Amino acid sequence: MAGVPIYTMLGSADLSIAGSQKYGKLVDTGRCIGCKRCMSACKRWNNLRVERDELISDKETDLSGNNFVVVNLRIDSSNRTSGTYIHWACQHCIQPACVGVCPVTAITKLPDGPVVINEKKCIGCRYCFQACPFKVPRFDFGKRVTRKCHMCYNRTPLLNYMKPACVAACPVGALAFDYKYEIIKEAKRRVEQRGGTSYLMGLAEAGGTDMLTILPTDPHKLGMVVSPQKVINHNLDKIRVTAAGIAGASVIAGGMYVYAEMTKEKEQDTDSDETEF
Amino acid sequence: MKLNFKQTLQSTLDAVERSPRLFIWLSILASLLLLAGYALLASLITSMEILEFSIKIPWATLIATYIFLVASGSGLCIVNALGSVFGLHRYEMMTKRMAFLSLTTIIFGMLCIVLHLGHPERMPIYNALSPNFRSAISWMGALYTVYLVVVVVELWILTRADLTNLAKRSSESAKTILNLLTLEKLRGSRLDAMLEDPKILRLIGILAFVSGASALSMLGSVFAHSESRVLWYGPYYPIYFLVSAVFSGLAFLLAVTIITYRVKKEVILPKVKSLLFEMAQLLALVLTAGFVLTVYRLISGLFSPAGGGPVLLLLIGPFSMAFWVFEVGLMSFLPVLILIWSAKKEHLGGVLVSSLMVLIGTYVMRYEFVVAGQIYPNIKQGLPSYWPAIMEIYVVGGIFGAFLLVYTLGEKFLALKEKEPHPSS
Repeated sequence: MAGVPIYTMLGSADLSIAGSQKYGKLVDTGRCIGCKRCMSACKRWNNLRVERDELISDKETDLSGNNFVVVNLRIDSSNRTSGTYIHWACQHCIQPACVGVCPVTAITKLPDGPVVINEKKCIGCRYCFQACPFKVPRFDFGKRVTRKCHMCYNRTPLLNYMKPACVAACPVGALAFDYKYEIIKEAKRRVEQRGGTSYLMGLAEAGGTDMLTILPTDPHKLGMVVSPQKVINHNLDKIRVTAAGIAGASVIAGGMYVYAEMTKEKEQDTDSDETEF
Repeated sequence: MKLNFKQTLQSTLDAVERSPRLFIWLSILASLLLLAGYALLASLITSMEILEFSIKIPWATLIATYIFLVASGSGLCIVNALGSVFGLHRYEMMTKRMAFLSLTTIIFGMLCIVLHLGHPERMPIYNALSPNFRSAISWMGALYTVYLVVVVVELWILTRADLTNLAKRSSESAKTILNLLTLEKLRGSRLDAMLEDPKILRLIGILAFVSGASALSMLGSVFAHSESRVLWYGPYYPIYFLVSAVFSGLAFLLAVTIITYRVKKEVILPKVKSLLFEMAQLLALVLTAGFVLTVYRLISGLFSPAGGGPVLLLLIGPFSMAFWVFEVGLMSFLPVLILIWSAKKEHLGGVLVSSLMVLIGTYVMRYEFVVAGQIYPNIKQGLPSYWPAIMEIYVVGGIFGAFLLVYTLGEKFLALKEKEPHPSS
């Protein structure tokens, strides 16, 4: 906790890391062709097991301890003829709920953006999965820890000027990686260019995320897990909930005191009756 | 007569041979433990996945059992405080049984968590080295650790005299161990006088109550902090956990006490009997309070801005049977009626039946709460079944078997039977 500004502890945005040193990833679903090369590259870089058939286009896959990134076809519920390939992974929230709930501080939000799980520290309680508004971190039954996309923090531009494996592998430029402010600028430009029902996910969801996704329509219509447009598990909210418990315990203690005082007399009467006999 | 290990073993074997009931009881417990051992071994050889009925619902039977046991143990701690903190002497008659039950239920509850974690060995290390003060699990772990230490000390002080008596009747080696356990060398010292002081016991009682109640409320907060789980989120559950813990703790105590007396064919002291009926009335009262809270939860859930979907899962969805039959019928409605009738007619059988109903209903309620809470927002289409996997059932059966075995041994060696309160107390 030492060194963390008080406004960050209370859940407010840490302005000191909002500068140009932050990175972001952009997913443009309008360009995605569903080839799943991003999945394949992610598996190669992270040494993940490849399951049978899962890299075949259009095959429905779910995030898991061996799938940090998935690409699935989603049909717009208001227009059944239009399908969109959606690249889905950790959204790298600016104020991640998982970081706040991990009991052993195994999850860290790095100053340049990625949210990373320390697998040597993780106890495998899966509380991060319960807290995550996008339901991303998944338990790996082999390694017995929770795993997820770490935005290739071990190959980011700061280290050796390499993009995340998935971005580098995308053949059609559906994925982009750059400084966060550049990514926001580019995402807004593309959304404006397309117009219509285009939706930019990640600006407000969960209080803002470092992965932005351009969708053809509202994420609800595509059947996606959608986060409320606010910081999830805000510390003040946690304090409010915990305080309710403390108040409840105090009321119970008060009730017990009243009960004890009311029945103590009866106890004394019974005792004195027995003494008389 | 001096006792030694061989003689104790021989006398136990003789007792088993003489009593078919004891033999059957121990056989059942042994079978439960064997099945749990098989399931755990299979999970180690193959994958932990076999202990979960769906990877989409990572918290299931083991977590529900954990909440059931730990909340019952904490509820017992709260009821125990009526005697040890608020000075009701009649409750002090049962302090030893309550402290022992509270300790064992919480330890076996913790065992569920240990079996559920991917790396349980890292938990004490990193919870101590790098705790997350923003995490409810971290606080809950710390508070339950404090509570366990306090209850162990409380139980040690309460059973010290019995252990000293046992030491006098034991052989040399057992005597040495028991003397070490009871700190016989301190007899007559100032520290010993301090330990005998009733004020110390009261202080320990207060510490146990504060740590137990806060740990329990924090257990509720573990779920209530999860903003992305609509059914769990909000200030309601820390409060409901406290109330439900009190009724499950009371039901646990009543059921275990009455069954123990009936099995051992012992006569219940009139004072204890009248206390059991008082507890039965108290249980009816707390169950009613719990039911009122449940109704409030349903109404607020139905009209919540996030939508009434999660509550409808309980009312008309796949959990409707668990909710209406077990949570409303077995846990709230029927036992309240039977308890009021039994307390009026002084019928212990009725109290036992309703306590068992409350326990079964509470267990199902915990399961339904944990599992139904994880359906929103990611399993929109629902799962084909919400029944636990057979391996989960084996492990949970083994945990209950181990708990009952420890209780049987505790009942034999720790003199948990209620005695008339000392006139000076």
